[in-house]
Amino acid sequence: MESPNSRSSQIIDVSVDVPGGVSGLDGNKICGGTTCRLSDSRTSSKDAKERSASMRKLLIAVFLCVIFMSIEVVGGIKANSLAILTDAAHLLSDVAAFAISLFSLWASGWEATPRQSYGFFRIEILGALVSIQLIWLLAGILVYEAIARLIHKTGDVQGVLMFAVAAFGLVVNIIMAVLLGHDHGHGGHDHGHHHDDHSHDHEHNVEHGHSHGISVTKHHSGNSKHKEECEPLLEHAESTSSQSACLKETKKKQRNVNVHSAYLHVLGDSIQSIGVMIGGAIIWYKPAWKVIDLVCTLVFSVIVLITTIKMLRNILEVLMESTPREIDATRLEKGLCELDSVVAIHELHVWAITVGKVLLACHVTITREADADTVLDKVIGYIKREFNISHVTIQIERQ
Amino acid sequence: MEDQAASRESLGVESASKFPPPRSSSSGHRIPEGEPAQRQWSGDYGLSAGDRRFAFSRQSSFRQSFHRSQSDPQTPVSSQGNHSFRPYLSRSDSSISIPPWEIDGYGVGYSKFSLKGDGEGHQKLTVLQLMLSLVGAIRSGNRPMKRLALMISLNVAYSTAELLIGVLTGRVGLVSDAFHLTFGCGLLTFSLFSMAASRRKPDEVYTYGYKRLEVLSAFTNALFLLFMSFSLAVEALHAFIQDESEHKHYLIVSAVTNLLVNLLGVWFFRAYARVNIVYRKAEDMNYHSVCLHVLSDSIRSAGLILASWFLTLGVENAEVLCLGLVSVAVFMVVLPLFKATGGILLQMAPANVSPSAFSKCWRQVTALEDVSEVSQARFWELVPGHAIGSLLIQVKRGANDGPILHYVHGLYHDLGVQDLTVQMEYT
Repeated sequence: MESPNSRSSQIIDVSVDVPGGVSGLDGNKICGGTTCRLSDSRTSSKDAKERSASMRKLLIAVFLCVIFMSIEVVGGIKANSLAILTDAAHLLSDVAAFAISLFSLWASGWEATPRQSYGFFRIEILGALVSIQLIWLLAGILVYEAIARLIHKTGDVQGVLMFAVAAFGLVVNIIMAVLLGHDHGHGGHDHGHHHDDHSHDHEHNVEHGHSHGISVTKHHSGNSKHKEECEPLLEHAESTSSQSACLKETKKKQRNVNVHSAYLHVLGDSIQSIGVMIGGAIIWYKPAWKVIDLVCTLVFSVIVLITTIKMLRNILEVLMESTPREIDATRLEKGLCELDSVVAIHELHVWAITVGKVLLACHVTITREADADTVLDKVIGYIKREFNISHVTIQIERQ
Repeated sequence: MEDQAASRESLGVESASKFPPPRSSSSGHRIPEGEPAQRQWSGDYGLSAGDRRFAFSRQSSFRQSFHRSQSDPQTPVSSQGNHSFRPYLSRSDSSISIPPWEIDGYGVGYSKFSLKGDGEGHQKLTVLQLMLSLVGAIRSGNRPMKRLALMISLNVAYSTAELLIGVLTGRVGLVSDAFHLTFGCGLLTFSLFSMAASRRKPDEVYTYGYKRLEVLSAFTNALFLLFMSFSLAVEALHAFIQDESEHKHYLIVSAVTNLLVNLLGVWFFRAYARVNIVYRKAEDMNYHSVCLHVLSDSIRSAGLILASWFLTLGVENAEVLCLGLVSVAVFMVVLPLFKATGGILLQMAPANVSPSAFSKCWRQVTALEDVSEVSQARFWELVPGHAIGSLLIQVKRGANDGPILHYVHGLYHDLGVQDLTVQMEYT
């Protein structure tokens, strides 16, 4: 139900959630029916939209990069300068990083096969890892070049040329960074999409029958950039599901892993360009102080490496199958133990397939007389409500 | 297959128990009595002691222990024996049952060593703490770790010397070689660190333990080697285009020294000097990657020496040829390791179990009376040899879940899936 656009162009949908007890065959256990794979139709359409948006961004970036690179190659051959050709090679490495990200984005949409039972989402993470290794490799190569510049006698190195080439590279990289990091421009379209997705969310709630009460969601199209405000009409203790749905959408504003790693690559390149520019300016000004160039390059390489550390840590955590940071395992365990009929929890494992997709597996010991079905229901419902983990496998054991 | 027929019979005949006798209980140690005939185990790859795909088979001490283990049913063996069968990848295949040459340093060090961090979550260790713990780990580590540490220190010393000499005398070739060596050293240090850190017990945040680090370091090594082969190809292309065979003779000395050091490393890890290895545990991948790393480095140095020799012989384009050959060789050597480690990191189904084995288990579970459907069967490997899975079973209401659970666990345990989570839903 949506009211027509008012003056402030708000789209209001009101939905009434049926109270629990209407589980039937579906209940809350089989998410979306018996065909629940890791990406059911709802999440996969969201994924596909996000993926195509990211792919579009990266394609534009690759295109621009190739154009600039060919300009530099032609200019370098005409001017017969090694510095310009080296910078063209750096741009080529940018293209390589974008190509890796594009491939990972495309591959992560493949259907799951029996050998790859969780789907291909991990390819994103591996692609990002390869990208970051490339960044490190390039930083090392730049330091080597700085040392080579130091060794070559004066006269070979022209400060002016270095400065000009680095400035050009910087401009290119800044354009790319703005293109890749820019989230606000598509705010209008995204709100439209979110409207669809949010109504799907409510449909899902009706099926599952968990949330009680009426929630009103207002979408402010245009102004609010990052938050959707969800105001439950009736303050009900059980309406946390709608809140968690809203939480999901604010979290979705996280950049896709691959776009983020391409962005990091470009950022690193622009930092390096600044360093080379400073070095070129110094050599131009005072050719005797060549060592400063090397020091500059070293410092800026270290800065680049530091920018990659946070992303590398996230990647490592996913690859080590560790509990994601946003999930507090002790609270989870305590909360589960407090449910009635539950005696003990053991072998609790929470891990992420990729950033954002979390799975859980555990063994729950219950009292002998308890009904396994209701306990399973309660446990799954609790986990979904409190921690928003929807792909859960619980093994119920009796004492 | 015989056992399937036997199980079906027992299903029909015995009304008291609805299930065929479990192949192995969940503790995994007992040899089941009354196993009718020898079983064709589809998950086994039919290897014997002489099989050279095993890393350990070259060690003569392993052959002794293997013959000893033929009579001792507690250690894992392949299925061709005439005694009762035990699954190959079972829970008893712990670090205690490894062949003797590892127990020397490993068994002693294992119990003594433990890093202090337990349950600290995402706390950052300071660099000093890391270094101190690394030194402590090396001293109490097993023999491969000590050898790796020795190799790394040799390499570091050599590369710093090369760098200094290159900078002071103004030879760019030496500097680039030094950089290449430094990158390699960094990677080997990461391998060493992962060997030490992977012995930590699982804690709250890393619920599966730290063994994945070894697979990660193997992957990083393989990736670096692939990068190296690409860069060598680019260098060959560069030499082809430039067409100037200005030859740097001083590089020969460094190439020869490099070759000697790397050949020493290959000798240390000679059990792993193969392209295709069956990985039984996590360390296998790590050692294999280290061995391939030093092997590729020595191939590269040999290629450089060969190129300069050809140049003195007057062969045209010798550099291009040799560099191209080396690049192709390194690529082919590294690719299987890269694929295997990538498969584990991508959570692919366990490589040593064929899909038909999984479908056979599926059918056996579905054949049970009370089970109506099996779905969402997912399996992956944490490290080679430790498979984990999850399963969703639809069961008729009122069925006794205990025996069903027990049976399903036993079934998959035989395939090597040690950690299985079975969710039973009642229709």
